Amino acid sequence: MLGGVCAGLAKHLDSSVKEIRILMLIGGALGGFGVIVYVWLWALAPVAGGAPASGAAVAGGGLPAGGGMPAGGGMPAGSGAPVGGFPPSVPAQVRGVGPGREVPTAGTAPNSGLPAGAATVAGATVGSVAEPTVDSMAGGKVRRRPLSTDLMIGAALLLGGLYLLTLRLGWLVRPDVVLPLVVVAVGAVVAYTQLDEVERTRWAERAGVGGTRMAALRVVGGAGLVVVGILLLVVGATGDVAQMGRTLVAALSVLGGAGMVLAPWGIRLWRDLDTERAERVREAERADIAAHLHDSALQTLALIQRRSADPAEVSRLARAQERDLRGWLYGGPTAEATTVATAVPCIAADVEDLHGAVVEVVTVGDRPIDERTGALLAALREAVTNAARHGGGSVQVYVECGPSGVEAFVRDRGPGFDPDAVPSDRLGVRESIVARMERHGGTARVVSVPGDGTEVRLTVPDESGRAGAGRPG
Amino acid sequence: MTVRIVLVDDHRMFRSGVRTELANEDSIEVLGEAGDVVEAVDLVHTQRPDVVLLDVHLPGGTVRPGGREVLQRCADLLAAEPPVRFLALSVSDAAEDVIAVIRAGARGYVTKSILGPELAAAIRRVADGDAVFSPRLAGFVLDAFGAGAGEVASVDDELDRLSQREREVMRLIARGYAYKEAARELFISVKTVETHVSAVLRKLQLSNRHELTRWAADRRLL
Repeated sequence: MLGGVCAGLAKHLDSSVKEIRILMLIGGALGGFGVIVYVWLWALAPVAGGAPASGAAVAGGGLPAGGGMPAGGGMPAGSGAPVGGFPPSVPAQVRGVGPGREVPTAGTAPNSGLPAGAATVAGATVGSVAEPTVDSMAGGKVRRRPLSTDLMIGAALLLGGLYLLTLRLGWLVRPDVVLPLVVVAVGAVVAYTQLDEVERTRWAERAGVGGTRMAALRVVGGAGLVVVGILLLVVGATGDVAQMGRTLVAALSVLGGAGMVLAPWGIRLWRDLDTERAERVREAERADIAAHLHDSALQTLALIQRRSADPAEVSRLARAQERDLRGWLYGGPTAEATTVATAVPCIAADVEDLHGAVVEVVTVGDRPIDERTGALLAALREAVTNAARHGGGSVQVYVECGPSGVEAFVRDRGPGFDPDAVPSDRLGVRESIVARMERHGGTARVVSVPGDGTEVRLTVPDESGRAGAGRPG
Repeated sequence: MTVRIVLVDDHRMFRSGVRTELANEDSIEVLGEAGDVVEAVDLVHTQRPDVVLLDVHLPGGTVRPGGREVLQRCADLLAAEPPVRFLALSVSDAAEDVIAVIRAGARGYVTKSILGPELAAAIRRVADGDAVFSPRLAGFVLDAFGAGAGEVASVDDELDRLSQREREVMRLIARGYAYKEAARELFISVKTVETHVSAVLRKLQLSNRHELTRWAADRRLL
């Protein structure tokens, strides 16, 4: 049908739309059962997700796309008025399907005796909501409607359906009792949902973001509705308006007095709660820090004391611990490295752990790891390992992701060597660094001055052939 | 010429370690030590050293990091004649610490893992009025000024971008080159390298580039 509920359901159940629709119509004809099902599904079923590009799919599966329609389909009211009320507010694409399908349904519905009023109210409510929703769908954007709106409309329609049902079954419904109850319920719902939102926005408010006047307004409005509903009930029961007024004044004074007495206590309680919460947060933080220090620093110190005879091991332990603490304090390398700038420190850390050298890393810019940069990182690991093993002392790594590609430099202060004098059977540099870089369209150069250290320079160009630099893969 | 220095660090062990390492350097004389912000401000004002070796994180005072407060309260000496110059020294090479002291007036930044001779060279360089950049500070500068992404100033004195030459010098420092090595690599004199680094330091201190100002505003440093 028009809400897309049938289509959505059909998709979900893997059956044809037509079957579902027929079932729905039968359900709708049988005392309004279908109406209720339809309305609940419409209110609660999620809006179809899907990529923004697949506009067609969204239109097909998006349940609330024709928000206004379930009333038309569901309400077999038979009276032309509510149904006729829709089309102006419903965009063309929906309307094209709408009346053609639904009007005959309405005509054939057996419930001609139903009061048009409820249907009209429900229809009008929904109809007014329908337009923006459909518009946003047509705009290609899939947006989740606020749940409370869905629920409100669903509840309203459900009530309408129930009302119709009771009428059909011939139960006695007294509007003078039911109506105030409905008002009270609506008021309570409005106030409570708002309270929830107030709680959520409190943090934002403290941070200095705008106020929640609207929320407060709605809470007051909700409370007002509740009061009006109760008054209606009471007046309906007693029928004495004058006495009502006096009672109201008395009740308000009692409430006010109680409020005056209890307010300081309430505020006190609130503050206590606040401090307690802050205290608990602080406590949890302290426990976290203690746990971390225990697992890391204390353990390492114990290890160092036991291995004090082995200076290399001690310095390796100390360096690893330093790196760990540094990462914890200042946000260092993370577990999963998906970009060049996060992967390089991990490589350095691995090499430090394996070879006990100190590897300083500086990165500028960043980009995701793809085939080329992955090759560069593999070659970089090899170069850093070589530097740590032969260079001695500290290794300086610099990686720059620029618009034209990625460049990496590994420098050590070791004795240096003559690259041309390396025997050809030594594959390290030649195979795993130079050849690997060349296979991926990059370059590798080893600059070594005996006595003045070695620098390995690696480059990969940005994915050639693609116009527009720096496009992430 | 002997460079007279003052050590400011809250760890006595570290101060004595630095003292020992600098004892081999004839041209550097340690005048005194301070362990917190108030002591440091007093000591610097009474001793008027050439260079203050300043730890970034110091106890005492009200501003964080404490090293920044020392710089602020010694602002009169930064501009005095002869000026007192500050070299920041810290275990943390987190960008916020570095930039906080650099923008407050420090002439350079080195990490505590620096070895004695290198530290002595850095102190002498700062005493001469030049700037000292650690590789990581150079990397931060390249990032913050968009030089890694290829932005280059068209005029040398543009504050918000690095010139081509300044970028090259910064890249070499980030790669672990000493000034002398960078000079050889670029076929320029060491003095020219020093001039470029000082120019970059000035830009780092004065630039209103949004990466820097946004960063500073976030931490209420403006």
